[in-house]
Amino acid sequence: MGKSGRTATLCGAAIAASLAMAAAPAMAQQPIKVGLLEDVSGDIALMGKPKLNGSQLAAEEINAAGGIMGRKIELIHLDPQMDNARYQEFARRLLQRDKVDVLIGGITSASREAIRPIVNRTDVPYFYTNQYEGGVCDASTISIGAVPEQQFSTLIPWMTETFGKKVYTIAADYNFGQISAEWTRDLMKKLGGQVVGEEFIPLGVSQFGQTIQNIQRANPDWIMTLNVGASQDSFFEQAAAAKLSIPMGSSIKVMLGFEHKRFPPPALAKMHATANWFEEIDTPAATDFKKRWRAKFPNEAYINDMGYNAYTALFMYKTLVEKAKSTKKADLRKVIATGEACIDAPEGKICIDPKSQHTSHHMRLIGVNPDHSVRVIKDFGLIKPYWLGEIGCDLTKKDPKEQYTPTSLPKK
Amino acid sequence: MTPMLNVLNGPQTLGNGRFFWTGFVLVLMFALGYPAISDPYDVGNIAYLLLSTLTALGLSLMWGYAGMFSFGQTAFFGVAGYTYGVISINLGASGGLTFLCLLGGVAVAALFAALLGYFLIYGRVSGVFFGIVTFATTLALAAFFGQTAGPEWAIGKARFNGFNGMIGMPPLELPWLDDNIVLEGIALYYFVLCLVLVVYLGLRILVNSRFGNVLVAIREDPLRTELLGYDVRKYQLITFVVGSALAALSGGLYTAWGQFIPPASMGLPAAAMPIIWVAFSGRQDLTATLVGTFLLLLVFQTITVYSQQYALILMGFLLLITVLLVPSGFVIGVGRLLGRLGRGVTS
Amino acid sequence: MFAEIFSIAFQFADVFAFLILAAAGLAIIFGMMGIINMAHGEFITCGIYVTVICVQHGVPLPLAQAIGALSAGLVGIVLERTIIRHLYHRPLDSILATWGISLMVTQGMLIVLGSSWQGIGTPLGSFAVGGYTFSTYRLVLFGAAVGVLIGLYLIYMRTNYGVMARATMQNADMARALGVRTQRMYAISFGLGAALAGLCGALYAPTMTLIPTMGITFIIESFVTVVVGGANVLLGTAPAGILLGVVRTILNAWYGQIAGQIGLLITVIIVIRMLPEGVSGWLSRRGG
Repeated sequence: MGKSGRTATLCGAAIAASLAMAAAPAMAQQPIKVGLLEDVSGDIALMGKPKLNGSQLAAEEINAAGGIMGRKIELIHLDPQMDNARYQEFARRLLQRDKVDVLIGGITSASREAIRPIVNRTDVPYFYTNQYEGGVCDASTISIGAVPEQQFSTLIPWMTETFGKKVYTIAADYNFGQISAEWTRDLMKKLGGQVVGEEFIPLGVSQFGQTIQNIQRANPDWIMTLNVGASQDSFFEQAAAAKLSIPMGSSIKVMLGFEHKRFPPPALAKMHATANWFEEIDTPAATDFKKRWRAKFPNEAYINDMGYNAYTALFMYKTLVEKAKSTKKADLRKVIATGEACIDAPEGKICIDPKSQHTSHHMRLIGVNPDHSVRVIKDFGLIKPYWLGEIGCDLTKKDPKEQYTPTSLPKK
Repeated sequence: MTPMLNVLNGPQTLGNGRFFWTGFVLVLMFALGYPAISDPYDVGNIAYLLLSTLTALGLSLMWGYAGMFSFGQTAFFGVAGYTYGVISINLGASGGLTFLCLLGGVAVAALFAALLGYFLIYGRVSGVFFGIVTFATTLALAAFFGQTAGPEWAIGKARFNGFNGMIGMPPLELPWLDDNIVLEGIALYYFVLCLVLVVYLGLRILVNSRFGNVLVAIREDPLRTELLGYDVRKYQLITFVVGSALAALSGGLYTAWGQFIPPASMGLPAAAMPIIWVAFSGRQDLTATLVGTFLLLLVFQTITVYSQQYALILMGFLLLITVLLVPSGFVIGVGRLLGRLGRGVTS
Repeated sequence: MFAEIFSIAFQFADVFAFLILAAAGLAIIFGMMGIINMAHGEFITCGIYVTVICVQHGVPLPLAQAIGALSAGLVGIVLERTIIRHLYHRPLDSILATWGISLMVTQGMLIVLGSSWQGIGTPLGSFAVGGYTFSTYRLVLFGAAVGVLIGLYLIYMRTNYGVMARATMQNADMARALGVRTQRMYAISFGLGAALAGLCGALYAPTMTLIPTMGITFIIESFVTVVVGGANVLLGTAPAGILLGVVRTILNAWYGQIAGQIGLLITVIIVIRMLPEGVSGWLSRRGG
C-alpha cells in the first residue's frame, strides 16, 4: 500500500512544483514561512498525520492560486514526537532561527501550554487547530477547533431528551477529560438531569472490566464517553464484548479518532457526537473538498476533524493577512477585532470571535448505525464560541494569557 | 597550577595528562567564544542542551562510580521543577529572588532524595531492584501529578494543572544595576556553562578524593568495603543525594527556561533518557558522560529536525550499534582509540 | 448478592490474567536471564499483529494466536543469536540495545503498516449473572493465564530442558563443564520468553485498539509483577499476580483506576523494601 501512496505523493509534489514554476514571476517576493509542529511519530501519529496532510493540501492549493498577496507559502514542519520538551525546542527553533511568520500545530493541550509562553514573547500569531477543553484567553493564540459550548450545549440536551436524564461519565483523567466532565455536570444540572456515576481513567489504561461493571450497576440512560488515546479506546471493544449496549455520547469520538472505522461493528453503534467536521458530511462543498484530499492522499484512513481544521486554518490565515495587508500579529488582530474574519470553509461559513479568538462552527449531530455507517441526526447551524466572552474574556481590551475552566473563572 | 591539577587528577578519571588538559582549555576557550561566532538561537539551544548534562553527571556519579542504578532521576528533576514553580509563583518572584527559588527547588528535591535514599539504602535494596524502585517512584509521581487538573490541586496561587503542566513561573533573572536581566539566550548560555564547569570540576575533585576511592570500592565489592571499616550506606546515601540534587538542578533550570513543567517530564520515556545518555557515553567516567551526553542530545535533536518520521529509527540504530561495537560506551571507546593512536604517534 | 461476589471474583480473575500474561515472558527474560528487556512490549505487539494478519487472511482465531506466539518466539531467537548474546556479561547495557530495538520496531511498523488497523472483534459472546453481563472471552484469558503458569512449572521442573536451563541460569560455567550447551539454553530461553510475550499479545489482540505502540500498555504491569515475584519465576510469579491482583482490584473498585495504578507502584516499592528478593526469595527462605 505504501508504494502507490508514495508515487501519488511524488506526482502531487511534481505538479505542485511545476505549478510553482509557472507562477514563478509573481512569486519574486520572499515566501511566507509557516511553522508546523505536528506529531507524526509515536502514539498519536494517528491524528498528527492527517493534520500535516491538511496543511500540505491547503498550502498547495493556496500556492497554485497565487499564494498570499502574491507571496508563496513555505511550510516548515518539525516532528516533536509527542515530547513536550521537543515542542519547546522546536517552537524556539521555528520562531528564532527560521523566523516563521506564523506558527501552527500542537496536538495535546499540554503541548499547546508548552509553546504558548514561547510564542507570547514574539509578535508571531499561533493557530491551535484542535477541538479542546476550551478556555484559553490569549491574544497570541487563535483557536480553530470546536470547544465545549459548541459540542456539549448541543449534544447533551438532545441526549437527555432522547434517551433520558441519567448519565454516566467516563473520562480520561487529565485536563481535557476533567473539564469536559465538569461541563457535562453543569449542563445536566441545568437540564434537571442526574450524573449517576463519574469515572476518571488514567491515560494509557487499556482494561475496562471494572468500569463496565460499574456502569451496569449504576444503570444510566446513556454514557458520556470522554476516554482519550488509543489504549483507552479499547473500552468500546470490551464493552461490546460484555454486551453493554447503552446509548453513548461524546465530543471526540467518530470525527476525531474514527473509532467506527477502527473497531468492527457493532462496537460503536449507538454512539452520538456533535462535530463541525466528519468525513461523512455530504454537502457539495464538503464532497469537493474530500475529492481533492483523496486525490492527494489516497491512503488516508479517515479525513478527521483535526486534519480538516488544519486545512481551514491556513485559509483563515490567508484571509487575515490579505485583509490586514501585513503578517504582524497586531495587524491581524485588528482584523479579528472587526468581527469580519470569516472564510467559506467546506463545512460552511466560519468566523473568528473577536473577544475569545475562537472560531464559530457549523455543528451537526451525528449517530453511528449498527453497521458503523454514520447518519446526520440534527443540524444546529452556526454556533458561536460564546463561553469565554460570557465569563469576561475580552481580548480586544485585555490579554490575560490564561486558561479558564468552569471552576476557575477570571477574577472580576 | 600543578597542586590544583593534582586534586582534579587521579585514577578515577580518564584524561589526566597534559594532552587532555590542553584540549580541555582549548574546548573551554572555544565555548567561551562561541556566542561571538554563532547566531543567538544556536547559543540558546546549546545552553538548553547543556542543562541535561547536569542530570547525566549526577547519574554517572551514582551509577558509574558508586554502582547505584537509578532509573528514577526524573523524579527529582520534576519535584525541583514543580517546587520552583510553587515558590516563585507564590512569591511573585523576580530578579535575584528567582535564584533563591531555584535553590529552594533543589533543596526540596534533595530532601526527598535523602528520605527515599534512606528508605532504600538502609533497607539494603540494591542492584536492579534499586532501579525498579526509583522507576516506580517517578512513575507514581507522574501519575499523581497527571490527575491534578482540578482547581483543588494547588499550593497557594500555584495550580498544578494536571497533565497540561504547571505554567506561569518566571524565568531566572539576574539583578544588574537597577534592572533585571532575563536569563535567556547568551546570558543563560554563560550561566549554564559556568554551572556545568563548576559541577564537572567539583565532581572530578570528589571522585579523585578519598571519598571517590571508597565509592569505587563499594561499586566493586560492597561487602569487602564494609569489612574494611567503611560505613557503606552512609557513602551511598550521600552519593544518592548529590546525584539527585544535580538532576534537581537540571529540573529547576529547565522549568525556568521554558516557564513550564509537565508530569510527562517524570513519566516514560523521559525516565529512561538519563540512563540512555549515560550508558551511551560510558558511565564510568565523568568526562565521557559530559561529552557523550551533549553529543547524543545534539545528534538526536539534529536527526529529529532533518529526518522526520525516520528519526526514531535512526536513533534506535545508533544506540544498538554503539552497544555492539563500543561496549565501554561511545566516548570512552573513542577516547581509548585516540589515546592508542596518540601513543602510536609519540612512540 | 451472588452477582456482586461473582463480579468481584471475575474482576480479580481479569486483573490477575492481565498481570500474569503480561509478565510471563519477561519473567524468563528478565527474572531468570537478567536481561532488562525494554523491547518486551514489541514482542507483544509482534504477537498481536501476526495474529490479526492471520485472521484477516481467514485463519481461525486459535490457530492465528498460536502462529502469533510462535512468530514472536522465532523473532526472539533470531534477536538473541544476533544481538542479545553479546550482552550477557553486561546486562545493564541490554537496556540501551533493547531500547534501540524498541524505537526502531515501533516507528518502523508505523511507517510500513500505518498508524492503525481495524480490530478483529472479540469472539465467544457474553453471559449474564444477576444484573451484570460479562464477556465470555475474559474467562479464556484467565484460563490461559493459569495454563501458562502450569506450563512453565512443568517445563522447568519436569523436562530435561528445564533442568539444564535452570542450571545454566544459576551457574553457566559449571553447567558448561557438565556438558550443557549453554549457548543453546540461552537462545531457547530467550525464544520461550519472547513466545510467551507474543502469546500475551495474541490473546489480547481481539480486545484492544490496534496501533504499533500498543505493546507499551503492558510494560509497567509486566515489570512490576516480575519484580514482586523475584528471581525464582516458578515460585514467585503466581503469588505476585495474586497479591498485585488483589491490591489493584480493591483499589480500582473502591477508589478508581488512578488509585489502582499508583497503588500498584507503591506496592512494588514496599515489597522490595520488605522483601528485597521478592516473594519467591521470601518463600524459598521460609521453606528452608
